[in-house]
Parts: sequence; C-alpha cells; structure tokens
Amino acid sequence: MSSEKSSPSVISGAGVSPGHTPGGAPAAETVRRGGQSRGLLASELGVLFRRRRTWAMLCALAAIPILIAVAVRVSSAVPPGRGPAFLDRITQNGLFVGVTAMLVSVPLFLPLTVGVVAGDTVAGEAGQGTLRYLLVAPAGRVRLLLVKYAGAVAFAVAAPLVVALVGAAIGAALFPVGPVTLLSGDSIGASEAMLRLLLIAAYLAVSLMGLSAIGLFMSTLTDVPVGAMASTVVLAVVSQVLDALPQLEWLHPWLFSHYWLDFADLLRQPVAWDSFLTNSLLQGGYVAVFGALAYGRFITKDVLS
Amino acid sequence: MTRRWLRWMPAVAVPAVIAAGVLSGSLPASAGDPLPEKTPQQVLLMIAQHGEKSLSGTLEQSSEIGLPELPKTGPGAGSAETAWLELLTGPHTARVYLDGPGKARVQIMDRMAERNAVRNGDELWFYNSKDNTAAHAQLPADAAGRHEARPGAVATPEDLADKLLAKLDASTEVTVGPDVQVAGRAAYNLVLTPASEVTLVDSVAIAVDGASGLPLGVEVKARGQAEPAFSVAFTALTLETPDSAIFNFTPPPGATVKEIPLPAHHEKAAVPPSDPAAAKTAKRPTVTGTGWESVLEFPAGTAALPGQIPPQTEVQDPAAANPLQPDSSVAAGTSSGAAALLEQAAVAVPGGRLVSTSLVNVLILDDGRILAGSVPLERLQAAATQR
Repeated sequence: MSSEKSSPSVISGAGVSPGHTPGGAPAAETVRRGGQSRGLLASELGVLFRRRRTWAMLCALAAIPILIAVAVRVSSAVPPGRGPAFLDRITQNGLFVGVTAMLVSVPLFLPLTVGVVAGDTVAGEAGQGTLRYLLVAPAGRVRLLLVKYAGAVAFAVAAPLVVALVGAAIGAALFPVGPVTLLSGDSIGASEAMLRLLLIAAYLAVSLMGLSAIGLFMSTLTDVPVGAMASTVVLAVVSQVLDALPQLEWLHPWLFSHYWLDFADLLRQPVAWDSFLTNSLLQGGYVAVFGALAYGRFITKDVLS
Repeated sequence: MTRRWLRWMPAVAVPAVIAAGVLSGSLPASAGDPLPEKTPQQVLLMIAQHGEKSLSGTLEQSSEIGLPELPKTGPGAGSAETAWLELLTGPHTARVYLDGPGKARVQIMDRMAERNAVRNGDELWFYNSKDNTAAHAQLPADAAGRHEARPGAVATPEDLADKLLAKLDASTEVTVGPDVQVAGRAAYNLVLTPASEVTLVDSVAIAVDGASGLPLGVEVKARGQAEPAFSVAFTALTLETPDSAIFNFTPPPGATVKEIPLPAHHEKAAVPPSDPAAAKTAKRPTVTGTGWESVLEFPAGTAALPGQIPPQTEVQDPAAANPLQPDSSVAAGTSSGAAALLEQAAVAVPGGRLVSTSLVNVLILDDGRILAGSVPLERLQAAATQR
C-alpha cells in the first residue's frame, strides 16, 4: 500500500511502471491473500449456514423457547420457586421466555450443537476426503485452521442469539410485555430489557468460545467427525459434572463450564460485570491453549485424505 | 524432525505463560511502601475514628465450621426456614452500598437469585427474588440515626469488628501482625488471640485499611483447623458515594408485599418482629463463665423452637439473626428443613444431643435446656450440672 502512495504517477502508470514492480508485487500478494482468506471465510460460513444440519440444530434450539412458552401458556399459573428460575415470571412478562430458554439450554443443548459444529470443522473435511484439496490451494494450514475456528465461533454466536430472539418473539406473542423486574427487585423498561437479553446471548457466546476451541483441537486429532463431536460434547458434560463435586472445589474456577450459569449477574441492578470479565479471561485461556494444541497437531499432521 | 517439534512449541509455551501469569498474580503484592508501624491501640483508634460512611464494595463470606452444606437445588432449597443455616454453611458474595448512616443496600448474590435489603431513611425494604416477595418496615422516626438499625445479613466487617472490640478485655491478647492486602488496599492486621486455653477459637484477625481505618475483613480461625472457620472480607471497594438511585426501592409489580409492624420500643426490635408470640415466651439466656469461655444457657421451653438454636456467639450473631428472612418465624421451624438438618447434625451425648461445629458447640439437654458456647463439650456439661 505504501508503495502506491509514494508515487503520484500511480494513476497513470498503474502496474506498468517497472519501478513499482518490486514493491508492488508483495503488496498485491497480501491483498490477494487477504482477499483469499476473506473469500475462504465467506465460503466457510456459506457452507456452514447452508447445511441442512446447521438449520436443523438452530430450529431445534428455537423450539426450546417455543415449547416453554406454549407449555406455560396452556398450563395454569406456575407457583413461584418451582421449576427453572424465571419460569414463574413468564406469565407477567413474555421477555422472560428468552431468559428461561437460555437457562434451560445452557447445560446440554448449546454445548451439544456447538460441539457438533466445532467437532466437524477439520475432521468433517478429512472424513469427506476434501481436506487435501483445501490444502492444495495456497491458503496455508494456519489460515484454514483460523477460518474453520471462525466458522465454529459464528455458530456459537448464532445459537444463543436464536434462542434469545425466538424466545422474546414468542413471549411477546403469547404474553404481555412490559417493564421487567430484575433480580434486585428494580424494574427496567422493555427496550433496556431487550438489551440485557442480547447481553446474555453475548455472554453465552463468549462462554462457548472455549468449547469451540476444544472441539477444533479434537477435530484435528481424527478423520472421523462423529468421534470429535462426541468427545467434545462428552468433555462439556464431564466439566459440568466435575463442577458439581464439592470435593474438587480447587478445580472449579478452572473448568470452562464454571461460569456458564453466572449470566444471571447481567440481570442485577447495577450489572455485576465481574463474572463477564472472569469468564472472558477463562475462555480466552482455553482458546489460547487449545488453539496452540490444534496448531501443533494440524501443522504436523500428515494429510492423507 | 526438529522443525516438527518446533511446531508444538506454542502448545507448550501458551500453558507455561498462563501458569506464570497466574502464579505471579497470586503472589502477595509487596509493591508500595509498607504502612507505618502502629501499636494495637493506635489501630483500634483508627477503627474508632474512621469517618468512612459512604462506600460501595463487594464482600465475600465463607464458612468452614463443619456443618453439612445445604443442597443448592431440589426441594426445600432456599426455603425461608433454612435460609439462616444456609448463610452459615456456604460461601456468599454480597454487594454493599452505604451512603451515610441513613442509606444502605445489601445485595446477596445467589445463583439465579438475589436477596436485597434496602434502607433509605426510615424506609426499610427486604426483597427476595427467588419467590418474588418483598417486606416493608417503617422505622420509627427516632431510629433514623441509630447505627444498630442498619440492615445486613452478611455482616459488614465494620459491624463484626465493632462487636468484637467491644468484647475486648483482659482475656485477649491483641497484636498487630504483618500488613495484608485486602481488596487491593494495604491494611493493618489486628490479631486477637484468646488467652484462654479452653476456647475453640484460635484467633480472630481484623484487617484495617491503612489509609482510612475502615475494617476491611474479619477472619476467625478455629483450633486445629488450617482454613479459617469464618471469614468475611471486601474483594472490591471504592470509598465514593454510590449513585443515590441505588437506594430507591419500590416493590416490583406482581411481588407479594408484606408489611412488618415494628414496635416503637427499641428493646423489642431485637426479637424477630414477625412473631410477637415468641417475644413473650422467649426467656433471657443466662451466662456462666467469662470472656471466651462464656456459656450461654437458654432455659427449658425454648427447645421446641429450633429457630433459636443457632450458635449465638459474638462472632456469628449477625449472620444467625437474618433480617432478610422476615417470615422465617421460629415456630415454623418444627416441621421445616432446618429441624431435619439439626437432627442430622446433632449427635447423641450423655444427657442430651450435641451440635458440634469448629467454633461453637451447642448442647441440647433432654430436659429442654440449651447450652451454647465456644468451648469443648465437657465445659458445657459442667455448666449444665452446676445448677
């Protein structure tokens, strides 16, 4: 880029001037490669979100708030303190459908779907025999790994967002929407409540980053996508089981699932940001560790399929 | 081949960097000037003179007193009857906001729930998000400036320190230990060691902010236990006046609001206000022994009210008398999880049953009397046979 700015005659003699060739070639190369990885990312996202499986999983996630809303609608009033938290608030305010649905989907449904997508990233291509064609293109393994992780992250962002938005929509359709009572007893308007709902979706997306990185690493280990998916999901469950054992209290702050349910801190007044920060740090650590492991494995891997 | 191993370098380096970062973060920050030397008297004076009445901070409280931890989920979890026991058994985080003597808010942050106590002038509100209930009390006008009327379920360090210091006498050795860091602030560490060899309490340490004299944390250690039996300390603290909107509380729509009638007489405000019957029947406990070896004796007739069994020592008083649960009427305890839990925790000893914790022993005699004290069982039994 700098070489183009250095000469005012760029417009007239664009690539023709021989003086520009040595500096211009690497610049053009970066532009081309940058455009290429953007193209790679676009095609990765396109493939991911055109897959019928992705849509099936998103639809299944969307069914959770719908089921909750319909069940609450047709049944009599839920007594306070029964069932999942916030369930009794739904009849007063439809926006709580989104919160309840996210709470319900955190332990299993979200890790399950994210595990499937993240576990499929590399192993899926290897299993289909397309991985080596991807590597024939001069994209490079690191770039391919980054693009694959970006795809998994995109799904991890989309999944809680779908639950939140569908929840808010079905809640607004079936129940009154008004000022929302926070955990602290203070009330906020519906628009601010919508913001909190999106914040919770963002919190969950961040929470799933670590699991996505684990899934990516698992995916580089095998050519069988189902194996990578299953082990990722199993790890998510194991982490939550360990988190429930009081004997392992020293381990708890290091488990990637430890802060998953602390998104309720966003429903306090004033918002308690501590858990958001701690969670982001922890997930960042997991992304760094398992990203490095996936790099080590994928760079040294003999790609035969 | 060496190139191949080089590729794995990040996978080794990243965990190493993280481990190094964690280790360096957990080391005590010794940077900064050490606090000037002070005698225990001077530190005590700092506490007495500190003028910090406005603050917002986060408190963490934890107890390891040997009681079984209550289930956090399932039936009975978080019921009103077990709430005070729950405060004694598990860790808690609470946010505290103070603005002068008349405005206070305490938020106990439970998982997916929150308990609130708000005081704004002579308006007192309690709110529990778990069952969406609120309780309101109108303080008598003359109580507006009274220090004791401040709400607080997780006791603020200030409260605990004040209570402990009032108890100081010849029975206790007071020293100033090495400086400590609490909530990122350098603090004096005032250590109280009981002179008595009998008591279960090993030491009580109070962290006093070196700059302002505000008590930042209290830690109680029991004999023969490495972990503190009870600790409460700020993890974050700012000494600025909080936003005044924090102290405005109106019960949310749909909440069940209960009005607590407060007797105008101050003496009676100490008993659970929701149960005037208990106020009449409760007899005053008698005290035998002195200092750390004191034994409280509750006369027969109170035994049927398990709500009164909580270990009543100077240390745990504020946590046991939980004003956030105004509806935890003592009489309801008979059929509650609290009673069941007490049955479970109590072991049969000659002459009665014993609820033993690392800080307090409570002896429930067969004749209905209850003896409690921070002393071994033999002392309780001796006190029981004295009369």
